[in-house]
Amino acid sequence: MNKKYNISKYLAYLFLITVCLIWVVPMIFGFTTSFRSQGEVVNEGFRLLPVNWIVDNYMAILENTSSAPILRWIGNSLFISITHTLLVVVVISITGYGYSRMRFKGRDVLFFTLLGISFFPNVVNIIPLYRIVDILGWVNTPWAMIVPGLAGMGNIFLVRQFMKGVPKELDESARVDGASDFTIFFRIVLPLIKPVLIVGGLFSFIGSWNDFLWPVIVYTDVQKMPVTAGLLLLQDIYGNYQMVGQLMGSAILAIIPTLLLFLFAQKYFVSAINLNAGIKG
Amino acid sequence: MDKSKFSHWFFIGPHIILFVVFILIPSIYGVYASFTNWNLMTSPTWVGLDNYRTILTNQDSSFHHEFFNGMKNTLIFVGVSVPLMVAIPLVIASAIEHKKVKFKNFFQSIIYIPGLISISAAALIWSLIFNSQLGMMNNFFGADTVWTATQPYAWMTIFIMTVWGGIGGNMIIYRASISNVSQDLYESAEIDGAGPIRKFISVTLPSIRFPLIYTVVMTTAGSFNVFGQPLMMTNGGPRESTTVLMMYIRDLAFGSGQSIAGMASAMAVLLGMVILIISAAQYYVMNRNSA
Amino acid sequence: MKKRLAFLIVAVTTLLLTGCGGNENVIEFWTPLTGEDGAYMDQLVEDYNDTDPEHPVNHVITSDLYTQIYTVLQSGSGIPDLTLIHADRVPSFVNNDLLVPMDAIISQQPELNEDNYLPEAWTAGIIDDVQYTIPLDIHGSAMYYNIDLLEQYDVMDWLDDDVVTFDEMLELEGQLEEGHYVVNDALLGWVALAQLQNVGGDIEGADGEPTVDTDEMREVIRYLREINEAGLMTPYGEDGYLMFQSGNVLFSTDGTWSRLAHEQVESLNFGVTNTYSHSAEVFHNRSSAHLFSMLRSEERTPEKEEGIGEFLEYIREHSIEWAEAGQIVASREVVEDPEYDQFMQSFYTQDERHEDSLYIYTYEHYPYVAEAIDNYIADIVHGEMDVDEGLHEMQRFVNDRVAEGDAELEDAADAVEDFDDDVDTNE
Repeated sequence: MNKKYNISKYLAYLFLITVCLIWVVPMIFGFTTSFRSQGEVVNEGFRLLPVNWIVDNYMAILENTSSAPILRWIGNSLFISITHTLLVVVVISITGYGYSRMRFKGRDVLFFTLLGISFFPNVVNIIPLYRIVDILGWVNTPWAMIVPGLAGMGNIFLVRQFMKGVPKELDESARVDGASDFTIFFRIVLPLIKPVLIVGGLFSFIGSWNDFLWPVIVYTDVQKMPVTAGLLLLQDIYGNYQMVGQLMGSAILAIIPTLLLFLFAQKYFVSAINLNAGIKG
Repeated sequence: MDKSKFSHWFFIGPHIILFVVFILIPSIYGVYASFTNWNLMTSPTWVGLDNYRTILTNQDSSFHHEFFNGMKNTLIFVGVSVPLMVAIPLVIASAIEHKKVKFKNFFQSIIYIPGLISISAAALIWSLIFNSQLGMMNNFFGADTVWTATQPYAWMTIFIMTVWGGIGGNMIIYRASISNVSQDLYESAEIDGAGPIRKFISVTLPSIRFPLIYTVVMTTAGSFNVFGQPLMMTNGGPRESTTVLMMYIRDLAFGSGQSIAGMASAMAVLLGMVILIISAAQYYVMNRNSA
Repeated sequence: MKKRLAFLIVAVTTLLLTGCGGNENVIEFWTPLTGEDGAYMDQLVEDYNDTDPEHPVNHVITSDLYTQIYTVLQSGSGIPDLTLIHADRVPSFVNNDLLVPMDAIISQQPELNEDNYLPEAWTAGIIDDVQYTIPLDIHGSAMYYNIDLLEQYDVMDWLDDDVVTFDEMLELEGQLEEGHYVVNDALLGWVALAQLQNVGGDIEGADGEPTVDTDEMREVIRYLREINEAGLMTPYGEDGYLMFQSGNVLFSTDGTWSRLAHEQVESLNFGVTNTYSHSAEVFHNRSSAHLFSMLRSEERTPEKEEGIGEFLEYIREHSIEWAEAGQIVASREVVEDPEYDQFMQSFYTQDERHEDSLYIYTYEHYPYVAEAIDNYIADIVHGEMDVDEGLHEMQRFVNDRVAEGDAELEDAADAVEDFDDDVDTNE
């Protein structure tokens, strides 16, 4: 019995280590290549490690602040994602409270109607959404990416579900004591639903940081775009001329912020994904 | 009294405004626009079913060709990537959840991290890996393939990158569900003489039915929106064999030619209908069979 | 509810509009320079702004510039004061009345005249005797050669008459070391367009219709296929550009600006010559030009136009910086400056014969033709696609887009007219 477990244990390890290697090698390859000179790349061809480690690629990337301002792009992305995340937390907490704790006629009908509509595939609304954003004067501004995503129902659904698990006695006894909805919301409910807000915020951050289609559509001004759309341009700028080191360096710079976030918030990510799928981890 | 009667608007009102402006109106307008000629900027002209007729039946029109080619390629992507995005993380999750395996969270993190990398950054790196002269594939494994210019290799680059970047979420879900499966079930299966594969099929799979349905439906719906991977890995080539519908829709509505937003909207509505029908069917079939 | 919503939208919009209104004196200058050259233009603009002009320039690099132009023209707001466009866009813009003539600016800045610019660049902006643009540069095909390889195969003499011919290249058939090639297929579409001129063809039919599926185009493809079939061209799908940089290809047909990238490879010993041809007597280098133009806009004041004139005059005098980006500068003063000789692209302005080889396509539907050729030419030349089928596809591609594009330009023109009408009735 034990022996059988041991064989399968080693098989599992072998499998997992192989998979992890496959998963990690591209990132390492991108990282090391970003330290190789163009001459070396062209003449030596493929190598996992550079012959000479140089930082010239990064110097060149950072020097170009006009047609490929990568730091600016990362800054734009940070501003967009952080603002979006903060607003998402505000919107989903007050709205989630409204749909689970306030009493008004047709509350649940309204909620599920909105939820149903939101299942409508968003490929249909993306073209008119551009027009609306254009009318608002938001094309080429951060608002084009910050605001429309606030309308989503997914996170509100999550908050509403979560609030159902928060004992009603707490706010009802407060209500008896004469507390208003605002007091109950800020003093009692908000602290209790913090975990689900972190989940919503985390996903909103990653979602808006990595969004690709929408920024490619709404940003044409090179100085205003977030980093995902910028890297698409880079493919033209450096890619056509195969400036491999510069391409890799830019990709690596763009990866760093979310990687840092993951390192610091790792435990939230796992519980977040499971909460989202309705599983208690 | 009056105050409490309306105070709920304070809580749900702001979101309703957002919802109306950014989801409801655009969705309705998107359907409406599909029956019009529209250049995105001036007001649309009603043309009835013309766009649909052109797309679905006019053999001479490039829109007809683009729609069917794009839909075909989108379906290829969904058909191949969804099973991969379910099966691979499921196997990985089972391996991690093996009783005697340690460093569970370490393995999980490594697999999850690519999901945090934006498609554009990942595509830059993968393009280099598949580059026939500089990349790892040909130099390391001695292959002699021009990956992105020949089929089926062009598709393979897209699938590999998609799986690499996209399975982390599903894996975490499966892992959590597998660890929730009661040990008693495994033990009684063992008493019946079931091997590991048998246990996986007759105990694990039925026990994680709901997370499976959830991930299949979500992964499928997401896969239909595929856009970034083919755009950056193959640019739709070779000879438009990886150009997915989203790429045509974007080109028609926002591309460097003119904006043909009415036609693009009609294609979007058709794609949306396919997504809805397939998601509903999946949910129905899987729920049925496993109940 | 509806009222509140409308109010909210109005409030937010005004807030945002006032927030980013900016300085009224600033000249909004849009360019499509998303490449390395964008950095050089930025530097030029910055240098100009350092002279403390009354109307400083704000350089905005715009991806999908032409789409964006249609968008702002149709919505009637946010139209840039000055725009850098390609020569091939001028005819359709002018035909649809989207551009303002440069007359006023030329009369204020006497140095902005024909004699001070390369003629090909200057005349690219003339439609019906009206000057619509002031040129910045000519940029186009260049053919780089690997000196070490030419010596290794003892063929330096091919360069003697400045033109490498198909016959000369075919001499090396069967003589090459494994992994070596005579020429790559970088920018093959541009090469084909140069060959089309060499064999006397054109992309415009007698009635102004686009013509791709022609006998001359077949001849061009026959020449190119011959090179490919002889095993002299880098294989299909391979990155011929990299193969040149790694020293495996004798000639690379890419752009004047690629010099910057080639220079980064220290081991590469290279020079530049004309795009190959079937005869040493006839040769062309397919080119385009970056031209300054003003889109029709009611918001551009005469004072601002004066400011634009000053900026263009500054560029004329100081665009040696632009040569750094690898472009053939259009200003005579710069080109004739001895300092300019250090730039490799000065090869193309060394004498009249070379200047004449810079062929700029200014046909109205050139952008579509070029897109079609770029899409299909590699497949056809490498034998992946049948010639008849390929040419037919290309012709259909162009025809479809011409039909669509006309509608769009008309829409933009209508929008501009509507706008003019509104202004007229207001006055």
